[in-house]
Amino acid sequence: MDENLLILKKSFPGRASQIDQLWNFFGTTREPFPPTLYISGGSSTGKSSIISALLKALSIKHAMINLVECYTSKILFESILNQLSGHEIDPKIGAPFARCDNLMDFVEHIQKMSLAGSVIVIDKAEELRNMEFNLLPGFLTLQELTNVQISVIFLSEIAFEKYYYKLNILEPFKLHFPQYTKDELLEILALDFDYLENVSTSCDRDFYRNYLNVFLSVFYRACRDLSELRHMSRKNFIVYCEPIDKNQLTVHDSMALWKHISPIFTASMQVLYLRTSNDSSKPLAQNLELPFYTKYLLIAAYLASYNSAKDDKRLFTKYHGKKTKTRKDVNRKNKVSDKLNTQMGPTTFTLDRLLAIFYSILEDKVGFNNHLLVQVSSLVELQLLSLASDPSTLDDRKYKCNVNFETIQSVSRMVGFNIRKYLSDFSHM
Amino acid sequence: MVDQETVSVSKGIFVFRNNFKRSKKSSKKQPSKPKKDEFSDNLWYLKYTDLWEELNNKYEKLTSEMFTAMTSDLLEFVSISHRDPVAEIPTAALLTGINMPDHEAQFINLKRQIKTDITPHVAFLHSEDCTSLKYLIENMINQFIKDSTEDDDDNVNTNNLKKSDLSLPLLQSWYEHMYPVKTEKNLLVVIVPDFESFNTKVLQTFILIISSYLPKLPFMFVFGIATCINTLHTSFPYHVTSKTNVKVFRCEPSTVHLNKMLEGVFLSPFCPFQLGGKVFDLFTEIFLYYDFSVRNFVQNIKFAIMEHFCYGNAMALCQLNRHDVKEILEVFTHEDFENVRHLMSFRKFVESEPYENQIRLLTDDEYFKLIVHEKIIIIQRYIRGFHVVLKCLYTLVSDLPGAPLGKNYREIYAYAVSKPIAQSNEYRECLQLLNFQSKKYLYDKLMSIKNIINEFSKKKTQFGDFLNEICDLIDLLNNLDSEANQEVEKMDSNTGMGQVTDRKAFKSNLLSRSQQKPKPLNKYEKIRIDVLYCLTKHFQLFLVEPSRMPFYEIFFFDDISIKSKIIGMHRSAIHNALNDPNHYLQCNCCEISNSQTIKATMPDICIAYKLHLECGKMINLYDWLQAFLYIVDPKESDDFDDKSNKLVDPELQARFTQAVAELEYLGFIKSSKRKADHVARLTWGG
Repeated sequence: MDENLLILKKSFPGRASQIDQLWNFFGTTREPFPPTLYISGGSSTGKSSIISALLKALSIKHAMINLVECYTSKILFESILNQLSGHEIDPKIGAPFARCDNLMDFVEHIQKMSLAGSVIVIDKAEELRNMEFNLLPGFLTLQELTNVQISVIFLSEIAFEKYYYKLNILEPFKLHFPQYTKDELLEILALDFDYLENVSTSCDRDFYRNYLNVFLSVFYRACRDLSELRHMSRKNFIVYCEPIDKNQLTVHDSMALWKHISPIFTASMQVLYLRTSNDSSKPLAQNLELPFYTKYLLIAAYLASYNSAKDDKRLFTKYHGKKTKTRKDVNRKNKVSDKLNTQMGPTTFTLDRLLAIFYSILEDKVGFNNHLLVQVSSLVELQLLSLASDPSTLDDRKYKCNVNFETIQSVSRMVGFNIRKYLSDFSHM
Repeated sequence: MVDQETVSVSKGIFVFRNNFKRSKKSSKKQPSKPKKDEFSDNLWYLKYTDLWEELNNKYEKLTSEMFTAMTSDLLEFVSISHRDPVAEIPTAALLTGINMPDHEAQFINLKRQIKTDITPHVAFLHSEDCTSLKYLIENMINQFIKDSTEDDDDNVNTNNLKKSDLSLPLLQSWYEHMYPVKTEKNLLVVIVPDFESFNTKVLQTFILIISSYLPKLPFMFVFGIATCINTLHTSFPYHVTSKTNVKVFRCEPSTVHLNKMLEGVFLSPFCPFQLGGKVFDLFTEIFLYYDFSVRNFVQNIKFAIMEHFCYGNAMALCQLNRHDVKEILEVFTHEDFENVRHLMSFRKFVESEPYENQIRLLTDDEYFKLIVHEKIIIIQRYIRGFHVVLKCLYTLVSDLPGAPLGKNYREIYAYAVSKPIAQSNEYRECLQLLNFQSKKYLYDKLMSIKNIINEFSKKKTQFGDFLNEICDLIDLLNNLDSEANQEVEKMDSNTGMGQVTDRKAFKSNLLSRSQQKPKPLNKYEKIRIDVLYCLTKHFQLFLVEPSRMPFYEIFFFDDISIKSKIIGMHRSAIHNALNDPNHYLQCNCCEISNSQTIKATMPDICIAYKLHLECGKMINLYDWLQAFLYIVDPKESDDFDDKSNKLVDPELQARFTQAVAELEYLGFIKSSKRKADHVARLTWGG
């Protein structure tokens, strides 16, 4: 067995079979590499890091490209060529190794360079679906096109079947990286010990493993993402060690430590995935400061979005006449909650309707002036309203209200306005 | 020579520039002759520019000081953000509040501070420049690289990079070139002032890209968020938020900013220009009800100052220094004095004088000069006294429960300049509340009043009496301490309920108590009454409304007619112009007595507009045309009934068509597909 292989397996616990398979593909230079390889698996399952570690260990010439970065295919081609040729960009001139606009040029350049036995790694390959149509087939048959022994590895979070190509394209070799199990996660997080060693002096490896056990027992159910778990475990371990550092508890008081950490874990669960340094868990409306009329405009926009225009007369005019009850109305009363207007999502409304509602709900008379109109566009800019019509035309502009019921409720509470009275969902209750 | 130049084998067109030379930038900037404005010689204009410059400098200094204090936390965060190796992009979310127009200055200030204190590499990304990822990245890299080359050497055009080459690998190599391994590295700061306006997709991808470069390039973000932090969470999915490490910073709310600005610059005894109650209320209304923008508030004040000084040279007297006033009066001409005589308050003043004085005031410039000087000095003293005493009143009542006179200095000010505040009901309410306050409270208040007076007037001339009385009262309160203890003991013996065994006895006990005379006041309570009496006396003395004083208009501006200029009403302006063209054209021919009248002399579009007001939702073009003809050319239309198939004069028809087209262009009507020969009306009402 190769020494490199052992080191790899050791640094990536739980991935032995995948590493073995990759080793079979790329381990010996005597045999040709597979022309294409498609590796799929969820995020942070070790795809990119294992591939790059493997290629580095075997010292294979390769180019690692993250497709997110390539907003044009020109950048994709040029950075591959830069990396394969070892070209360094001179900041004064800024020219790449070779100018390359399309796949044709790219193939030509590959042929000119002696690249036999090198590898192109394309990360986030699912982006290919949004890029030019010839890229995926082109890369899948790169060896054929160039007649050079060059292989392409795709890394992606989705299965290959999701690419919806009508063409009969050559299917690559596929390799799947499954989700880590709880035990594997424990192993991987345990590698973190070196990072945390200087946090607390008094703990040893076993203590850290115990902590991880406790930690995973709480978090494993909510989150399987390694990087998020690592972030959380690092953050909480410092808190976990606090009583020990202050000499209130010893390493062996595991029950007391658990009692100390469990409320903190619950709090951390609340902010899982939201990485804010200081917590500001106040709801939107409390932070939302708007001028008085702007608040009313927002309320009017909400009413326009969540009432149908048919009901306007009934809701906003004083003498709207008598309405005979129809079967439909009776049925409407028994509406199930998912048919409520407030649950259906905002509908569009015109500026005229917005202003008409605004003037009908506002008690004091205010002239129609430019400051008001500017506020409408400023609400759009703040993304509280959004423009639902073509932004280039000025006629018949349509808007949508983007805030939710809780927010609008607290906004209207601030100005002393009973919003339920004016929502058709609530008005007949 | 010209022939020579144009000899050519092929047929060609030659451009002659007619000796035209593009004027160089430098020649423009050279102050050969400062451009003379129309009124640059006028005394009032000179005084206006002086005053505005002074106020503006003060305002800008104050804002930048405030912002510096506010951002110190942020700057510290920026400077330490990359001290330890990081896995996520350090991100500062600055909650700025929705007062959009003010942000620009704040962020420019922030950029300057970061540049001078922390790192030379700051990129400023506006949403309008970053509609796609490509533009965003090119824009950012261009800013990073261009700034540094400008610093390196003064040749501006060293930067000959192609725009399409500006990619992150280039930035990386530039950065590594600039900071070889093991040298101290500077951060790359990206400021996004208007987070909400950004395309979130673009920003998401941008963050993903930057995070993949983070080990090599120490990036950090500053996002300006106008609404609240949840926007950040809702606009990004998890795999993006996990790439950033957000720390939230808050700007002060704009109301606090406004209060500081007003108290520091405009509502102070050092600003000669004073806003009257009505105008001030208008400005605060715009601020609170419409835009929350301090910058707009200042612009409004500027407009008021301009309007104020426009009145004429009389306003040049708006000075707080008595020597200046004297000098200005020396150079006044007869017209200028006439200008002063036209002030409304002068009329009242004249009427109150005895007859012979009236004549002298109206005719004798020298005598008038003396009187004006004297009165102006009185107003100057008054303004000083007004603000200082108003500050005292403010400290006294601003934190009373319910704050009957308002919590902010500006509210009290707006009240006091329009009404005598010390006689108002609200003030009485405050006095009642003050009557319940403890000794400690009263003592603290008196001390702070004393401090305010000391701070403002070192000579103690004007406030001498006031200050002395306050000091005496403070002494009295101090001496009370030793006696107070005995009082309390006496009180205690009285307060006991005695032995109450049944309900009846309790009731009679209560009854007898209520019938007892009110307890004799203890010493403290007596002093408290004295204190309040003394304060009220001085408040009444100093806080009179300015309109009682002759020539107060020179210092106080309270012309509410500027409202139409401050709050634009475009619809009513257009309606006015079309309905009553005389209002803008000022011609005799279009004068109308009532708004329904239509005259043939009016512009065509006005006639068409006024006719269309009489129609319903759909307008028949033919009827409209006939009505138009009837007005424009009544003679011909008289016998219209007889020859109904008469041809319309093509010139008149053309005029009508043009008027209709103009109305369509203005958005009053729209051609309709539903009915032939009809147009739809887009406005309501008549």
